[in-house]
Amino acid sequence: MTGSLSKSIVIWTFVIASLVMLSAPTIVVLGASFTAGNMITFPPEGLSLKWYAAISQASGLRQAFFRSLYVATICTLIAIPVGTLAGIALAKYRVRFGHGIQIYLLLPFTIPLIGSGIGMMLAFGNAGLAGQLWPLGVACAVINLPFMIWAVTASASNLSPDLELAAANCGAPPLQRFLYITLPAVMPGIITGSLLMFILALNEFLVSLLLVDARNVTLPVQIYNSIRSIITPDLAAISVVFIACAAIAIAVLDRLVGLDVFLKSK
Amino acid sequence: MRPSRAAYPIRWRVMDILEQVAGKLWPRSFSAGLPYLMLLPALLLVGVLVWGLVEIGDSSLRTLDTSTFLMSENYTLANYQRALSERFFTTVAGRSLMGSLIVTVVTLIFAFPYSYLMVRTQSSALRKFLLVALFLPFFIGQVVRAYGWLIILGNQGMVNEALGLVGVTPIRLLYNYPAVLFGLVQYMLPFAVLMLAPAMTAIPAELESAASSLGANWISSFRHIVLPLSKPGLVGAGLVVFTLSLTDFAIPAILGGGSQDFIANAIYDQFFRTSDQGMGATLSLLLVAVGSILVGLVFMVFGAGTLAMGGDRK
Repeated sequence: MTGSLSKSIVIWTFVIASLVMLSAPTIVVLGASFTAGNMITFPPEGLSLKWYAAISQASGLRQAFFRSLYVATICTLIAIPVGTLAGIALAKYRVRFGHGIQIYLLLPFTIPLIGSGIGMMLAFGNAGLAGQLWPLGVACAVINLPFMIWAVTASASNLSPDLELAAANCGAPPLQRFLYITLPAVMPGIITGSLLMFILALNEFLVSLLLVDARNVTLPVQIYNSIRSIITPDLAAISVVFIACAAIAIAVLDRLVGLDVFLKSK
Repeated sequence: MRPSRAAYPIRWRVMDILEQVAGKLWPRSFSAGLPYLMLLPALLLVGVLVWGLVEIGDSSLRTLDTSTFLMSENYTLANYQRALSERFFTTVAGRSLMGSLIVTVVTLIFAFPYSYLMVRTQSSALRKFLLVALFLPFFIGQVVRAYGWLIILGNQGMVNEALGLVGVTPIRLLYNYPAVLFGLVQYMLPFAVLMLAPAMTAIPAELESAASSLGANWISSFRHIVLPLSKPGLVGAGLVVFTLSLTDFAIPAILGGGSQDFIANAIYDQFFRTSDQGMGATLSLLLVAVGSILVGLVFMVFGAGTLAMGGDRK
């Protein structure tokens, strides 16, 4: 950075304030999960792992966590083939009505989440699917699909069409070209996209709240229901699971594509 | 024939069979349709949303019969009339619109220096640190973050306990309008920074050096160079932040404690408290309309490629 001292002071003041805002909840939840007391107090009453022991015993929280994992897995399994094919098609071919199709495929982002959630709640309810868990996986795949398509198109547009022509020239039929040339080339995009889909479905709160019934809640909904009554440290311990998942996802993302891609100008 | 068998491994045979099946199912003469076939699953999946919107539209035209608690059979526009005239709904809408406007301005004020530092810093370690600090909360999810704020700001929370240590009586920091706005600002910050950063990257650092070599101090080089050139990023980030805050549910629900409802909370209550499906659907549809118009503006300003999908081949 170039510039004077006063500039650095002003910028750093804002950045440090932002960093505190961004990180304070995470750090506090981490700290609270290790408390030895029965309440979350400040300063903490000493360190212990007893709340982790407590959540490993609590079947309600564990089941809610497995439900979230199940939903995230279904979401990812649907999104991978659907998003990959669509992403490759958009990047590789000049599609008629391409512009319209893109706007249509961005509907999950343009429709507010509460609208999508209510719509799918009514639709699934009329179709007799209410209360089941797998439609929630489908719903999560729908609302986050643009992320998957975006990730695949981004890596597919780096693929030179000459490579496939060369393969065809050597006698490779279409399916082989797809499996041995196109698919490996877009693999980083597929991995990035599926990671995003998985973590976003794991955390999905509003659509879960609308689509599941009270006996079948996912973990974010379970936490939401509990914090409205009383705040106990066991919720902090289970929240650390989310923090850990997020940290792993970021580490993998950074290894695979590098976080710096988000800074590139188009 | 033995040597040729060895030279033609089983995997190739499988591939040949698959190739033949693929050729039968999708002959070469159909090849123009191939991209559409590949797009079809995605089109169908997003179709679920369209189906949902149709259901919302249908429900919004039916009113609740308070004597039987059934939805009316015939269509009427009564719900829309109520939504636009009843005091309660206009209050909630006003609160949400005003709140989103404040949140947008405050978020942009914080996001601007953050993305400036992130883009301009020489140190790649600092850049990575700033990026991780952005992504971690983004991936943790709203509920856990709001839970963290409950611990910090609650009546027996960290801030009040710390104030108590120096003899200040506890202050009510939660369940009011500022708490919701604060929660929204910190929720929106990553979105705003990530939308601003590409616009910042596009501004050459030399422009600023040139300005300062011509005698501009940093404030005027910010005002006359960085700010105008990052305008597309600011507009995009502002619209996204505005739309997302306007339609948010979790933060007003958790940090507002039921007293500071935004539109999404009012919709939820119509469905799950009042059981007036028609009214809830009407409000949803109105919100979808407002949200789509706002996002439509983003597309008009930047083109549909903004969210970085598709065909910009080099």
